[in-house]
Amino acid sequence: MSVLADVLTVVTQPQLLLLVGLGTFAGVYVGAIPGLSVTMAVSILISFTFSWDVYPAISLMIGIYMGGVYGGSRTAILLNIPGAPSAIATALDGYPMALRGEAGTAIGVTTVMSFIGGFIGIGVLALAAPLVSDFALRFQPRDYMLLAVLGILLVGSLSQGSLLKGIFAGALGIAIGAVGRDPLTFAERFTFDFQILEGGISFIAVMIGMFGVSEALGQLHHVDKDAVRQKISRIVPSLSTVRKHLPLSLQTSSIGVVIGALPGTGGDIAALMAYDHAKRVTKNPERPFGEGAMEGLVAPETANNAAVGGAFIPMMTLGIPGDAVTAIMIGALFIHGLNPGPMLMIDQPDMFWFIVGALVMANCFMLLFGLTGIRLFTRIVEMPRSVLIPMIMLLSIVGAYAVNNSVTDVYWMLGFGVFGYFMRHYGYPLGPVILGVILSRLLDDNWRRAIISEREDLGRFFEGIVTSPLSLVLFVSVILIFVSQTPVWAKAKARVFGRKGEQQ
Amino acid sequence: MQPIDPEHHDGTSDATPGGAPDRRRPGELAFAGALLAASLGLLYSAYGISGFEALSAPGSVPMATTLVMVVTAALVLLRTARLPLDRAETLAKDILPLTVVLFAVALVLYGVLLRPLGFLPTSALFLVGAVKYLSRRGWAWTLAVSLGSLIVIWLIFRIVFSVLMPAGILPEAEVIQLFRDLLQGDAPQ
Repeated sequence: MSVLADVLTVVTQPQLLLLVGLGTFAGVYVGAIPGLSVTMAVSILISFTFSWDVYPAISLMIGIYMGGVYGGSRTAILLNIPGAPSAIATALDGYPMALRGEAGTAIGVTTVMSFIGGFIGIGVLALAAPLVSDFALRFQPRDYMLLAVLGILLVGSLSQGSLLKGIFAGALGIAIGAVGRDPLTFAERFTFDFQILEGGISFIAVMIGMFGVSEALGQLHHVDKDAVRQKISRIVPSLSTVRKHLPLSLQTSSIGVVIGALPGTGGDIAALMAYDHAKRVTKNPERPFGEGAMEGLVAPETANNAAVGGAFIPMMTLGIPGDAVTAIMIGALFIHGLNPGPMLMIDQPDMFWFIVGALVMANCFMLLFGLTGIRLFTRIVEMPRSVLIPMIMLLSIVGAYAVNNSVTDVYWMLGFGVFGYFMRHYGYPLGPVILGVILSRLLDDNWRRAIISEREDLGRFFEGIVTSPLSLVLFVSVILIFVSQTPVWAKAKARVFGRKGEQQ
Repeated sequence: MQPIDPEHHDGTSDATPGGAPDRRRPGELAFAGALLAASLGLLYSAYGISGFEALSAPGSVPMATTLVMVVTAALVLLRTARLPLDRAETLAKDILPLTVVLFAVALVLYGVLLRPLGFLPTSALFLVGAVKYLSRRGWAWTLAVSLGSLIVIWLIFRIVFSVLMPAGILPEAEVIQLFRDLLQGDAPQ
């Protein structure tokens, strides 16, 4: 019964419910306004809410997360500009539907489908996380280490970019996380004898720089783009439409949960993979994909919201982020003195069930705000970028400053902002950098624990990997990711399938 | 999977990190070279932490990660060098337009002025300048929009999130206290 009470915490405390509602409302708009992303909003919010208690802070962030993943679809449909990364695939069929005057139907379907996907994700989280956390107690330090490496590699290998650049970004993140005095031996690492570096680089400064300022600088390229008005018709979709697409939505939700639960990869990648899946399994769409197929909306929208619940699984059970947003939330929990991982699930199960409850409420609010308030919405989205961009920059600076009251952090933030700007332009993913920064300590500690317990013997270390089924599976996955990027893989694939292997 | 490229390969997310897969964007080679040089420097620095003392030494993971950085940066540099240069793009137009440089400089200036001048005056200068430059609209509109939004932001920070920014030249705390006293109807203490 105590579980139920914990789940309902969010409902019984009006203040928390209000914050989830506000967060979801804000999230829908943050997601919808091109240039504002969930990752950006949550990283800036950490520094504002760190003086709050942990429950209100988490309530707000969960609302923004859930709402933001959904909100991007609206601008994708109405303006052909994905408001958030997870809505990139939604634009492909959503905008053609809007051009035919079916914008209302498209928005209605995406809202209901996001709601269904969101619930499936939360359901899987509630069922799977307690099991995973029991299992996680048996994880050896080397398993944590391998999982962290796997998470960093997965982003690069499942995205459309280059794996090499992804690996570079991840390694860079780990190096950034190592700056300062080593917590075990107090040796200085990458400090270059500067006193200011001894305490390390604030990860919040890195996050805000990478996701706030670099995005704002990038948006400067598009200041003059105009918003296009669309007429919006009936929104609430008919029951038959929903029922017709239910089988597909269940499949794509599963894709979303799995991709979300894999360490590192989140809704943006899940949406693209689900879209791809829908294209393959839908034999006779009413309209071809790319010209307004309903399936092309259902797939990415269920998947990206299902990925939200999925992403919390590794975060809550292992302390390994499921995507960039949960990476930031782990940072937020650190600030509040909590250490996500199997012990948190055992010591403070109320925290976990509270998060589940907050996600459920955020999902309901999302449905509510999604099916109403369209008029207000079109006004807000038309906010000119010439005002929006300076505001994002201002908020980023305040956010970076507020954590430690330090101007140094502001400079770090700006430095990483400019660096991230170049990384974006040359195709280096930013997510792995943040994952690396958050996972740096975990990777380092667990490597040292693992190798010390094997008496500094690499042979014994690998023997341990080969003899433990879990370690072996993780190790083979890491190797497979590398092999899948080499010409050998393409040749093998060609031989097996009798055709030329598809290049990523 | 058919590549999707929403905003002129400038990178929007991890799923579509930007860049052009089959061409070299202007400045990309120099960036890859700079990353390799920085990685080499970091590898040297990581070696200096504890050398090859022990596998569990504080420098082991840093050395391994910086080695990975050097190897991947070198491979990326080689691949980039082999790609044909994208002649349709220029550094000044597609990668680093004047606006971006101006804004980067303005942000650094903001950091410099933040402590001596205080949050409100610095932000007002920045917002008015930035909005005027980007929107190219009249002064009345610019001032109303930027100062109005600054006040909203400040109220939210100060009241809802209780974030303290440097007060600088404005007697911020006194003004707030004055308002509090007025609202509560108490005599100023």
